[in-house]
Amino acid sequence: MRHRLVGTVAFAVAALPALAQDFAGQTLVVGTWGGDIERLLRTHVAEPLEAETGARVEFLLGGSSDRMAKLYAERDNPTMDVTFQNIYEAPQLLADGLVVAPDPESPAFKAIWEGMNEGCYAMSLVGLGIAYNKQLFPEPPEWADLWKPDYHGRIAMAPYPSSESDGFLAVAARLAGADEHDPDAAFSKLAELGPPALTYTSLDEIFALMDAGEVAAAPMISGYVLSSLADWENIGFVFPTDPGPVLVRDMVCQVANSPNPELARMFIERAVGVETQTAYAEELMFGPTNSSVTLSGEAATGTINTPEEVATLVQLDWPWLIEQRPEWTERWNREILGQ
Amino acid sequence: MKIGTFVRATGIGLILLFAVAPILVLILAAFDEGRFFRFPPRGLSMRWFIAAFESAEYRASVTRSVVVASLATVISVGLGGLAALGLVRGRPPGQAYLEALILAPLALPLVVWAIAFLQVLSYSGLGGTLFGLILAHVIITLPIAMRVILATFTRIDPDLEAAARSLGATPVRAFLRTTLPLARGGIAGAAALSFLVSFNDVVVSTFVAGAGWVTFPVRLYAQLRGEGIDPITLAIGAMIVGVIIVGAIATELWPRRRGR
Amino acid sequence: MRSPREAGGGTSLSPTLSLLFIAPAAILVLAAFGLPFLLLLALSLASPVEGSLVPDMSNPTLAAYSRILGDGFYLRTLATTLAMSLATAAGCLALALPLAHWLARRAGRARRVLTAIVLLPLACGALLPTLGLVHLLGPLGVVNGTLRGLGLIASPLPLLGTQLGIVIGLIQAFLPFAVLPILAVLDRTPPVIEEAAITLGATPARLWVRIILPLAWPGLLAGGLLVFCSALTAFVTPQIVGQGKVATFAMLAYQQALQVLDWPFASALAVTMLAALALAAVVTFSLARLRP
Repeated sequence: MRHRLVGTVAFAVAALPALAQDFAGQTLVVGTWGGDIERLLRTHVAEPLEAETGARVEFLLGGSSDRMAKLYAERDNPTMDVTFQNIYEAPQLLADGLVVAPDPESPAFKAIWEGMNEGCYAMSLVGLGIAYNKQLFPEPPEWADLWKPDYHGRIAMAPYPSSESDGFLAVAARLAGADEHDPDAAFSKLAELGPPALTYTSLDEIFALMDAGEVAAAPMISGYVLSSLADWENIGFVFPTDPGPVLVRDMVCQVANSPNPELARMFIERAVGVETQTAYAEELMFGPTNSSVTLSGEAATGTINTPEEVATLVQLDWPWLIEQRPEWTERWNREILGQ
Repeated sequence: MKIGTFVRATGIGLILLFAVAPILVLILAAFDEGRFFRFPPRGLSMRWFIAAFESAEYRASVTRSVVVASLATVISVGLGGLAALGLVRGRPPGQAYLEALILAPLALPLVVWAIAFLQVLSYSGLGGTLFGLILAHVIITLPIAMRVILATFTRIDPDLEAAARSLGATPVRAFLRTTLPLARGGIAGAAALSFLVSFNDVVVSTFVAGAGWVTFPVRLYAQLRGEGIDPITLAIGAMIVGVIIVGAIATELWPRRRGR
Repeated sequence: MRSPREAGGGTSLSPTLSLLFIAPAAILVLAAFGLPFLLLLALSLASPVEGSLVPDMSNPTLAAYSRILGDGFYLRTLATTLAMSLATAAGCLALALPLAHWLARRAGRARRVLTAIVLLPLACGALLPTLGLVHLLGPLGVVNGTLRGLGLIASPLPLLGTQLGIVIGLIQAFLPFAVLPILAVLDRTPPVIEEAAITLGATPARLWVRIILPLAWPGLLAGGLLVFCSALTAFVTPQIVGQGKVATFAMLAYQQALQVLDWPFASALAVTMLAALALAAVVTFSLARLRP
């Protein structure tokens, strides 16, 4: 209740230009990924916010798991105000009270597709599809095609845990006639692929080997993969249909008890605003969560951006998956990697 | 003897080639025009070097790394050198345990320690400060500096210092005039290793550094996990290599010219 | 004549004074390393809380340790990691001793530049050289291409994703840690000892084993220790060169600490590693004392 009240006051304050300079001398710390995301957030969110409020915005760069660990380590004394996390992390942060629950009365909440705010506000929608070598797969593959004997031991995977590997396990379970709530089905089906050809930590590693045909295919998340394909003529990417791609989300969170809660809310409003969301889609192929965004051309075809498209996606039970994580990590290490 | 020289030269050449081969790949890839870390390069270009100079963020992060690494090096070589001297020249009680204590940080997976360190730091209200970052770096570099200087001191005869003192030099002066000059190579090696380890640390810095102290390796890794290598970092890596080699050539030539 | 191994090390400081010299470093480590380590020890005994990642420290349990010790997987991984780190240290010393000796005695004016070149693998961080190495060691990389071109092998050697590949990567990454201490130590030993041995007719093998090795010993000890520990705790090189196919203990600790966020278990893994090392150190130390 207190948060809601603070939020309403904050938005009222933000709406009054006369109070704009009230934030001078304050520094908002935003944890996010480096590279294009940092650039887009700086141009479309941080700079306008700095101009409007007189505050400074600093980015703390790292991977989302680094930020997750930092949030827990600094839980009594947080230094971050806003953090970007994956859907496989956000619900846990809310459960442990480290982030402020999304406020259903806020403009940000209302602008976002219904049901997408889980733990934090949904920032972008991407799908887990298949990146593949075009020589080895003349036709874009379906999930089941990866299990053909020709590709045994030639499928690459992301490390576990990650959205990719949780999603791929869920797909494997569905191919075995179950879903992610049946880990035995998921793991034994996935183990049929043979040991992963590669556990990749960056696009460079996997694309070099996939381009050369050493890796046949890999479950990968749209977005960066789509925006990189222009550099790799041998590599394709497809959203399969049976089952459909797994819905993966980036989330933006307000850190609980952070030094600058008002500024944090203003940052989040701009981040999920039409301008930023459009830039994400057009430059990075990240699907917007803001329902008012209208896209055209390549951005419209490449991204997940309509409720109809979202309906074709596989939605996972993330709180359940998070609960299973310690046990599934053991199983992954032994049954998938240790084959 | 000629065959021996040839075999020796080939052997040394191969070891050097082994040491630098991946660096050569990196340098060649830095001149590739493509957006990915490819090898062999497909089209040569200087665009990533130009982009590196134009990027205020990368310039700032390299500067921060240099500042942090310099401070960490000075502290760890100073304290490590002093400790090494105490360990070699004195026979303090519990000598082996004291040495093991200072070396202990080498034996833990840093990421686990870094998380615990951050909790203590955050609890003390020092989260995100430069002080905390330097402290974390010193913990990593101090054991390295101490151990290298220790090895050097064991090969310096204390009789030299004793001789200087018997000729009337104060203990401090005797040390400065005999042992210290002889240890110069070891101290330089300790400083080089400390500086490079600190400059390149990503595991500890990712957690401990505040938003104002995002260092070069942290920036490099922050992008890696989403997008892959930013070719700008390859260009910066190639330039670091260039600076080191040019620096070595310059310091080799400079004192000699002065001496003539 | 004293054997070179025992040269130096004479006492010239009183025990009190030497303690004063050691104190600043020791106190710094005790505070900045020791306090977090105590927290880590406490964390390793904490019990997990259902549905939360914040462990319960008020309810100590040895569950994390029994999970490690009661299961061959973790102990096997620890043994593999220790063996790979030993191999890395041995490999680094085998390359570093002749290289450092050559730099110290024969490189002349090229010495400074070549020493700088030896340092380069450390200069660009672990990641960029490791990715470079992947391009060299891959099935289509330069190494396999050259060996195939020379007709030495029929099919590509599996270097990526194997323990051998990881050890090669670690040797490449940590060679500077071995070269610099050996170089610093050899610089402090007069070349005349070696020259005298040659004049007296020592064979090259005898020269290396009886003269150069003992002369360089403190450097080998320092370099070996630094390389061994760095290899033990490294995870960038094992992850990338190993392609995720070879688990190392540090990778498991990293996975638990950062990705699973099971801090009690991650802490217990770290403590286990330190305990294994301490045990190894005590055993080595006692064996060394037993030698006449």
